[in-house]
Amino acid sequence: MATPDHAENDLQPFFVLHKALVQKSERKSTGSRKIRRRIELSPISAKNAEKMEIGTGEEQDDHHYEHLRMEAFNLVWSKIESTIKDVLRNINLNIFNEIHRWVCESFDAIKSCGTTLTKATHSYPIVTDATFRQLFTGLVFTKNMEFVDDLMTFEELGLHLKSHGCHVANLSSIDFSANNGIGGCLRSLLRQFLMVTLDAADISILASWYSDQGNYNKPVVVIIDDMERCCGSVLSDFILMLSEWAVKVPVILIMGVATTLDAPRNILPSNVLQHLHVSKFLLGSPSERMDAIVEAVLVRLCSGFCVGYKVAAFMRNYFLRQDGTLTSFIRALKIACVQHFSSEPLSFMLKALFVEENNQGFWSEEHAHFPEEMLKYAFDLPSCRRNNTEERTGENLAHDLSELKRLQKCWSTIVLCLYEAGKYNKIRLLDLFCEAVVPCSDNSTASNHHLGSGISSSSDHSIHHQYLISEKCSSICQAIRKVRDLPVVLLYQLLKSWEKLTEDVIEIHDKVKELQSLLKFENGKSLKQDLTNIPKRHTSRSHLNMDKDSKVLNEKAARLMETMVRDYMQPVECMPFHEIVCFKNVDKLQSALMGDPRRRIQLDLLEFQKILLCSCCSNSSKAILPSMHDTSILYTLAQEHGDLINLHDWYQSFKSTVFQPSTKGKHKLKQSPAKKRKDSNESQNQSEASFQVRFCRAVTELQITGLLRMPSKRRPDYVQRVAFGL
Amino acid sequence: MEGNYGEDEEFGFSRNYFIAKELGGSGKKSSRKLSDIELVDEQELRAAARSIESKHEKEIASLLNSYKSLYPKWVFELRCGFGLLMYGFGSKKALIEDFASTALTECAVVVINGYLQSINVKQAVTAIAEALWDQLKTRRTPSGDFPKVQQPFNSRSMDDLLAFMDGSHSEKNDCFVCVVIHNIDGPGLRDSDTQQYLARVAACSHIRMVASIDHVNTPLLWDKKMVHTQFNWCWYHVPTFVPYKAEGIFHPLILAHGGTAQSAKTAAIVLQSLTPNAQSVFKVLAEHQLAHPDEEGMPVNNLYSICRERFLVSSQITLNSHLTEFKDHELIKTRRHSDGQDCLYIPLATEALEKLLQEISQ
Repeated sequence: MATPDHAENDLQPFFVLHKALVQKSERKSTGSRKIRRRIELSPISAKNAEKMEIGTGEEQDDHHYEHLRMEAFNLVWSKIESTIKDVLRNINLNIFNEIHRWVCESFDAIKSCGTTLTKATHSYPIVTDATFRQLFTGLVFTKNMEFVDDLMTFEELGLHLKSHGCHVANLSSIDFSANNGIGGCLRSLLRQFLMVTLDAADISILASWYSDQGNYNKPVVVIIDDMERCCGSVLSDFILMLSEWAVKVPVILIMGVATTLDAPRNILPSNVLQHLHVSKFLLGSPSERMDAIVEAVLVRLCSGFCVGYKVAAFMRNYFLRQDGTLTSFIRALKIACVQHFSSEPLSFMLKALFVEENNQGFWSEEHAHFPEEMLKYAFDLPSCRRNNTEERTGENLAHDLSELKRLQKCWSTIVLCLYEAGKYNKIRLLDLFCEAVVPCSDNSTASNHHLGSGISSSSDHSIHHQYLISEKCSSICQAIRKVRDLPVVLLYQLLKSWEKLTEDVIEIHDKVKELQSLLKFENGKSLKQDLTNIPKRHTSRSHLNMDKDSKVLNEKAARLMETMVRDYMQPVECMPFHEIVCFKNVDKLQSALMGDPRRRIQLDLLEFQKILLCSCCSNSSKAILPSMHDTSILYTLAQEHGDLINLHDWYQSFKSTVFQPSTKGKHKLKQSPAKKRKDSNESQNQSEASFQVRFCRAVTELQITGLLRMPSKRRPDYVQRVAFGL
Repeated sequence: MEGNYGEDEEFGFSRNYFIAKELGGSGKKSSRKLSDIELVDEQELRAAARSIESKHEKEIASLLNSYKSLYPKWVFELRCGFGLLMYGFGSKKALIEDFASTALTECAVVVINGYLQSINVKQAVTAIAEALWDQLKTRRTPSGDFPKVQQPFNSRSMDDLLAFMDGSHSEKNDCFVCVVIHNIDGPGLRDSDTQQYLARVAACSHIRMVASIDHVNTPLLWDKKMVHTQFNWCWYHVPTFVPYKAEGIFHPLILAHGGTAQSAKTAAIVLQSLTPNAQSVFKVLAEHQLAHPDEEGMPVNNLYSICRERFLVSSQITLNSHLTEFKDHELIKTRRHSDGQDCLYIPLATEALEKLLQEISQ
């Protein structure tokens, strides 16, 4: 493979492999080639694939569809992304407004202290009063050790303040590194305020910029998103400098703090602290934000894209037990989305189904020319095959898909109703969601589980994961149980919220209304009773009565909830054609989301037969065969050693493993008879050399994987093992 | 090793470690030396390296071939804004370059060989920016006015380059340069500053990154910000079992360590890159050492006077600069003479030294 050209490139630190091709024809041909491969991959039967490849016209069709999927992804994801942004912004809006108010107040305070234009345009700052040297500082507590999640919050805060007429610069801990010193953050400031890059950064430049007519009279806000990761000495220098120049450039500082109030005290010395005039702000907690995002994206289904129950459970676990950041949850969602659109041939329909409101046009136009193969593929989807006898036409597909959409709408409505009830019991939407997507092959069993009626599931409902059942009982049942225990006032509120939520699902909406009218009636009665001043004994009895009445109402509401769950909350994986909108392949998601190099690379070496699938080494016993990959042999041998491996012993056992008399004989046969005698000694030597070099190479390869530490001066004859166990 | 996760596994790690430690500490510990093996001469070893027959060629070829079916998916993911991170045993150099040259023809591809010892990231980023500039120039729509480059790329600061690559130059988000990094965990890229720069490059809107890793502990190089918001990796486990040819070039062969041929060879390479005068200074020292094999070395003063006589150096300062260079490359060492004065010697055996002199006088 290594042409001389290649070999030269191997030693270049970097090189341009090729430039972009712009010819259209070239582009097309690669495009169609890609498609052919995709089809081989996709679950369409081989016969179909062959058929699809016949004409070039059809190939172009495929290219067309891949393009459509790409487009659909872009649309769906931008929809999800903007929804998430909106949700987060709404959550933060109050606090952002509060901060903005504080910025304005601080700025007014600075101005009233007498920083007038004349003073600001002096060539050097005149400090007449110590109070001038105080910096107004807002500490924003993120209640979250994971600073990644708050990067966006601070960015948004910056934009918010900017839109309200402040000068804003966002700095991060990278700007406050000890390497760059104070110059680093100043440069970054100048970059953001003046849009220039200067080698000699000086705050006087900033001051003269601020005294320009256009910039003057607006507050200057500097946001540092992760104060605790900054280098303390650089940060204190920065603060001292700002406070010295406070008269000319009245900077207002905003710093993100992940831990507690004493964080600044831990980082900054007291002489710096006295320059800070501190105010505090609190952000929402990560789980609040999480629930808001789950609600908007996965329950309300802003884009139509959804995930299966295994994927949901995985994402929940990943969030709760592994990474704990919203950012990673959103990233996982994006990966799921990409995987869906890259592997599901019909996923492009999502665009027409959900994102574009007027989907009528798409269907009337498209289903007429809908390729036969696509239709066949669609009607052959497992979810559809289960219960389908209808004719395979585009119209039917369109109809079924709108039915799917309707069912999903019902589902999300019920989940939101449950969440409203669960809120009184502090049930998290994420948990509720994960339970609500678990499919049941039989609705009645499902409802039994929801109601906790205690009938254990029969084994034939195999999709039901035992673990999930037990959990399923918990959140959904808890929510329903809470409905039974709610006091009247809260029940009234709950019904009101249900009324709002169920507006689109008429059957439920009516029932909720009915219940509401009953409650109003009851309420009216109780109110009347409260108003009339009757003897105490009497009241208590009537209260008892009233309690009884409201208990009946509670029971009714709970019943309604149960019916809703049983009849309307059909998990997506039970709907026909759900494969088009729903991503279910949890393995794919997991492997793309986080690699496990430590484990996988060792497994590659120890069980390489599983990957290479060679016939020579597939031995059921665990014996090491000479035909195995050299590095595999060496690593398998290393498992028998302690933390130190004696090179001599290791080499000897390697040699005895790979040394085979028979191959030596073959080796000799290959040589010409004339040379034979002369070579007998040499070939011995040769094979010794070849063993040694194979050993060397295998050691080098292990060193590259980081599984070995090389001999040190102190221990020249030993290498050290690094990994113990997978 | 069953796959039960959680505490058991954590427990397993430490237990395995202590078992291994105990195994090493017990009486079984072998104390045999490498020198007990009849080590073959390095040159012979290098020759043999060229003729190692590879095993499982057929299976490896079909394995590599099977990955080709993933190419369209990889392209799809790159377009969606993800980076690709390939891991698994075996060199992935050929695989990634094949992917880049067959499936990524629509964009420029810049390759960084991270397995080399030293890489100037600034230069690499400049090259990437230039490639992007070329690409944008050719794709420019006639209506859109395009900013002129005010300054050549190689004199711009890193921040400017990053800003250029992150800018929005065309309405289509489709225009990107693909950066391939072989061994993003390699010795030349391993420090945290470089990783920060690479992460910032990866986060640029006009850049997509395809990288490979080989070291089992690579993820420790990155914090959550880099992983989730900048690199944005899609991981792929693609073991190839292809020998690490290019990646292993600069790793010394473990059984040839300290061999005479090895050090004479490296010394010759270093010397050949020095000026003729420096070589001559070295020769003076070498000749002295060959003529007086029993002495501890050559006093600096003597060396200076001989070099001056031969017009090799004009002052003590120039001699010192040569000597510093030699010391940096471990060509010479100093030790205390029995009479207390510092003297210089070459840490090579007599035959190796002779060989070296031959080689540099060729």
